[in-house]
Amino acid sequence: MIRPGLARVVGASMEPTLHEGDLLLVLWGAGAHVGSLAIVQLPRDEHGAPRPVSVKRVTGVDPADPRRWWVARDNPSVGVDSWLVGSLPPEAVLARVLLRIPCRRAPFT
Amino acid sequence: MRLRDIFQITEVSAHCDLPCGVYDPAQARIEAESVKMIIQKANDSDDPDFRARAIVIKEERSELVKHHLWVLWTDYFKPPHFEKYPQLHVLVNEATKLAGASGTKGSFDVAKADELLEKIAEIDKIFWETKQG
Repeated sequence: MIRPGLARVVGASMEPTLHEGDLLLVLWGAGAHVGSLAIVQLPRDEHGAPRPVSVKRVTGVDPADPRRWWVARDNPSVGVDSWLVGSLPPEAVLARVLLRIPCRRAPFT
Repeated sequence: MRLRDIFQITEVSAHCDLPCGVYDPAQARIEAESVKMIIQKANDSDDPDFRARAIVIKEERSELVKHHLWVLWTDYFKPPHFEKYPQLHVLVNEATKLAGASGTKGSFDVAKADELLEKIAEIDKIFWETKQG
């Protein structure tokens, strides 16, 4: 089921597009859209520990497998994306980011 | 769909530290071996200057043992590891204590250095088991 929701950004990997504390209006359950931002579940790390739910940009399909999405960070100096962990299956895309609500706040830590 | 679901804010991560991902308990072991050797040499020496230098270097190396063990504990070992090896927390605690003021840092006791090396060997064994996947 597709439903709207809110998400708060933590970290700097999407700068300069998003900043820490930005509030996003998202559509949970909406599929990926090339060029748009998405809330994704990154694969577990090499030790089997889960990575946090993240916001990334969907830049295209995996050149090696058109069923999978390639996601990237906007800030190449920090963060993790498909360049490090490979492409994501469709079910790893949890939501599409519709817009940034101008209501920045220090995230709860 | 409830209104609460819409206004509930999910935290989404746009960050990750950039660990080099290279870990090995050998770092701690080598420093601990150095500590043990310094203790032996200092105990065999009557030269007060040599012993003074040995104290300084031994404390510095003991601190490095603690540092390397802490890095493994905080950066390498993950929750699934602690679940599989519940003794790991106590093991790291005991090993770092053996490198501290009540261990090799504060004494010239070779037995403490040997105990420290044994603890590091236990951590090393677990470390390489986790590498097997």
